[in-house]
Amino acid sequence: MSSKNALIEVRNLRRSFDYGAVQALRGISFTVEQGEFVSIMGPSGSGKTTLLNILGALDSEFEGAVTIDSVEMRHLAEPERFRSRTIGFVFQSFHLLPALTALENVQMPMFERKWRASERRTRAAALLGSVGLEHRMDHRPSKLSGGERQRVAIARSLANEPKLLLADEPTGNLDSSDALKILEVLGAIHQQRNMTMIVVTHDCDVAAATNRTLRVRDGQLVEKQISNGA
Amino acid sequence: MSFFQLILKNLFRRRSRSLLTLGGISIGIAAVVSLSGIASGFERSWANVYKARGTDLVVTKSVTRSTMPGPFPFALKAELQRMPHVREVGALLSDVFSVEDSPTILVIGWETKTSLWNHVKLVSGKWPDDSSKNTVALGTLNAEMLGKTLGDKVQIESGEYTVCGIFSSPALAESGAIVMPLPAMQSLTNKEGMVNFFDIWLEPNTSVGDTEKLRVSIKAKFEGLTAFNPGSVAENNIAMQIAKAMTWAVSSIALVVGAIGVMNTILMSVFERLHEIGILLAIGWRRGRIMQMILAESLLLSLVGGFAGCGLGAVAARLLQMSPWVHGKLEADVGLPLLGIALLIAIALGALGGLYPAWIGSRMSPATALRQ
Ligand SMILES: Nc1ncnc2c1ncn2[C@@H]1O[C@H](COP(=O)(O)OP(=O)(O)OP(=O)(O)O)[C@@H](O)[C@H]1O
Ligand SMILES: [Mg+2]
Repeated sequence: MSSKNALIEVRNLRRSFDYGAVQALRGISFTVEQGEFVSIMGPSGSGKTTLLNILGALDSEFEGAVTIDSVEMRHLAEPERFRSRTIGFVFQSFHLLPALTALENVQMPMFERKWRASERRTRAAALLGSVGLEHRMDHRPSKLSGGERQRVAIARSLANEPKLLLADEPTGNLDSSDALKILEVLGAIHQQRNMTMIVVTHDCDVAAATNRTLRVRDGQLVEKQISNGA
Repeated sequence: MSFFQLILKNLFRRRSRSLLTLGGISIGIAAVVSLSGIASGFERSWANVYKARGTDLVVTKSVTRSTMPGPFPFALKAELQRMPHVREVGALLSDVFSVEDSPTILVIGWETKTSLWNHVKLVSGKWPDDSSKNTVALGTLNAEMLGKTLGDKVQIESGEYTVCGIFSSPALAESGAIVMPLPAMQSLTNKEGMVNFFDIWLEPNTSVGDTEKLRVSIKAKFEGLTAFNPGSVAENNIAMQIAKAMTWAVSSIALVVGAIGVMNTILMSVFERLHEIGILLAIGWRRGRIMQMILAESLLLSLVGGFAGCGLGAVAARLLQMSPWVHGKLEADVGLPLLGIALLIAIALGALGGLYPAWIGSRMSPATALRQ
């Protein structure tokens, strides 16, 4: 089941909380190819965020094997360093820093790179332009609409040119027109950058836009399904 | 945006709290600067007195209970004078009195016909002499402080004196003092036949080694007396020892309070930002960078507070110097070395106050922070 082009390999992944009282993931296995756009769907509490946190090196206390970009995730010495180079995160509630402007927010991950301040600025401006926010660069999050905030967060997730973009319900806090715009932005990124992307969603339109949907229930994969969208 | 701009932004977000902390640090540093400036000014002003007089050795009581050394017999002078290399011995009796509105005025009785009178210059009038018991000369600064001129009366303890001369001295402490002949001072203080200092001038070209030998032999010969080089006046003056100890005590308290203030401010700001710190970790910030950010905030705060404290301390030292207790006795010594040390202390405060909050912040678990 392992393939030459697999960016992500997950084998028999288990994760429990509260000393085994809560079994969030009960043996999940799948692979994701380089350049694939995958969605994950499932009811609330089924373990989607838990899975995404493990893929994003935010959580290493799991059982089973998870390999991303040939790196074994369980005993990662410097998860921050791995996140900084390999992963871009997009969250349901945006998680922008409220005191910083859009442009500054996008620059934050870049402090881990040896880029000059002027280069950080130029790159951040280009990223904001690519998500259609060139006129909102000096606005703070509180002055932006939900859709705009999420586009800032997407631009930020691309700041260090990651290999893998992880989005946890990116449209969950948005109305349908904003959600559509986010979906377009994600689709464009996937096409232009040939980036591997995993999106957790409750939204069938979002799932339909991806190459493939993984369905999760009670911590297990129910079926695999290739969708025809995009 | 540079990292420094980010730090500034973080501090400006909590403007009033940052300002209050800054105020706390600057007051602590100002206390250090002003008190140390006064203490070292005190020391320097006495060193200047001996420098002006050209004194080579000073003899005084070795154990002293009050701020002025205790009395011993004038008669010892003859024996001192016979010791090797001694050119001249001048006897003094000094004490501090409250004179009219000034709480602490130095009054000195100088032995007449000695070199003690050489370095001072009469500005007007004449010197008091042994025959006229109730006349005194005022230093220029003293005359200004008391508001007296020639012919005015000065009340010192129970005695009333007439100002017969005004003199200037290159040493500030003498300029602020009242001088009278030794016998007059002895009767004012009821210490007939007693003195509390001998100033010794040595023959020209006496070597450092011979001076030291003489010093040691004076100590050995006269029980209860000590001899010291004017340069080490601070170690032999109890008032200076007290001043130094006070400076040290007040400064340490101010600094401990300052450090706790910094830590409190930074710790609060870290606890308020746990969620944001979690976000930064999630988007790839290393834990070391989180520490860097928090430490830099604390260092910047205390460094700015340090600079403000140096300015404030210099001004406070000037003001203290004008206070009636200190006026005319010293010039505050707020120099670059003191300011440098004060800034180093400020940096140490920032590091101490920031280290624990930085450690707390860097230990955050991003996944937990983001769930909230
Ligand atoms: N840190 C934790 N401590 C204890 N239990 C946890 C923790 N994280 C997740 N869980 C539990 O694990 C299960 C899966 O949670 P998870 O957040 O992964 O669900 P989800 O599929 O993302 O749900 P939602 O659609 O509501 O976001 C839930 O029962 C949740 O309560
Ligand atoms: Mg979730």
